[in-house]
Amino acid sequence: MLPVDDELPDKKSCIQCGKLIQQNRDFCNQCGARQSVQNSTKPVNSWGLLQQAGLFFGIDIVVCALAQFVDALKTFSFFLFSDIIMAISAVLFFCINWKENKILLTWHNFSWQKLAAYGAIAIAGQVLVHYSVDWLNLVVYSKDEDYVQHLNGSFLGAFFVVFFTAVMPAIFEELGYRGYLLQTLLKIADKEQAIYITSFLFAFIHMSFISLFWLIPFALFLGFVRIKENTLWYGVFFHFCFNLTACIFQLL
Amino acid sequence: MPPAPPPIIRCDACFKEIENEDVFCGHCGYPLKGTKVEQSSFISKQNKVDYYKAEIKKKVENRIDKGATTLFCLAGLFILAAIIGFFKLQDNPQVLAFVIPYLFLGIIFLLLGEYSKKKPLVCFVSGLCLYIIAELYDIVENPQASLLGIITIIIIIVFLVLGIKSAVEIEQIKKENNIS
Repeated sequence: MLPVDDELPDKKSCIQCGKLIQQNRDFCNQCGARQSVQNSTKPVNSWGLLQQAGLFFGIDIVVCALAQFVDALKTFSFFLFSDIIMAISAVLFFCINWKENKILLTWHNFSWQKLAAYGAIAIAGQVLVHYSVDWLNLVVYSKDEDYVQHLNGSFLGAFFVVFFTAVMPAIFEELGYRGYLLQTLLKIADKEQAIYITSFLFAFIHMSFISLFWLIPFALFLGFVRIKENTLWYGVFFHFCFNLTACIFQLL
Repeated sequence: MPPAPPPIIRCDACFKEIENEDVFCGHCGYPLKGTKVEQSSFISKQNKVDYYKAEIKKKVENRIDKGATTLFCLAGLFILAAIIGFFKLQDNPQVLAFVIPYLFLGIIFLLLGEYSKKKPLVCFVSGLCLYIIAELYDIVENPQASLLGIITIIIIIVFLVLGIKSAVEIEQIKKENNIS
């Protein structure tokens, strides 16, 4: 006997005449009405959105370039200032589209196993990066080292190093790049291109050509995790573990 | 004897499988039980849509080719600069410090040009950022700027921004017409 396909769940009712039709049909076979609501959302102003994303990235790159190239600004207070500017800009841009972005701050698929797995990958990744950089005998100038220079010695110093190199970037870089920027680019281009662009831009603000070899894979991984899990928090935790391991290497 | 399986009926417009009692095709909306006039007007409309989609696809491909040419030109410019620099500074001990970054940029832009046929937006955005950062390094190393140098930088940036703009338009057209 042929299966009775009325019992199968893959049926929907026609949006016009209400008769039951198969789920994968584009048209109703009784009244001929098209089933998909075609481009019902208002058209996206892609070029405008891209310029907005450009402003976000421009602020970050100006701050980073000043810290990198202007010798007079290589002070602790300017590092503090640049971190605060970048954090504020990430939060503000994230809030521009609060209604659509707030879903990223939820964490419905929380699981300890996943969290532990991401943490372990992050620590393993940092160990690999640390030793490969050592092995290549490359000196990577980064802000982190300057923090260590300024704050070395005391317990409070170590606390500040952890706060400014592990906690702050983990939260605000994720909010800005995997949050605002990726979300905006998803409206302009397809998933893959959006992830690639965010990752390249994220790697570029670190202003170190040598570090690109690990920054780009790191950022790509974070981008794919963010898309797969549909929450920012796994990325934040991954980023935190990665940077914390780097901190521990430097403090030891 | 088991009953013979019912023969498969196909739609006249899209040739996909349909049921005998269907009034319209569930796949393309063809009026199976409509009059001859309704059916032929459906077919001609469908042909128009196909033609329109093909035209848009051609336009998109044309634009992508133009964008790739811009990136290849830049790659050529960087490699040329590296070669000229090499012969000009041959006796200078710092010749490699000048040649290698330009050669590196040239190779990167060659790759970007090749890849831009598939993913134009990625290639133009990263091309622009790489170029700006490379120029920043250059300006910090050699602060004495020449007018010609500044004009070249501006022209290249304008070209790359135009490339980004047309890549965005391509993405928009792709999204609106479901072309992948």
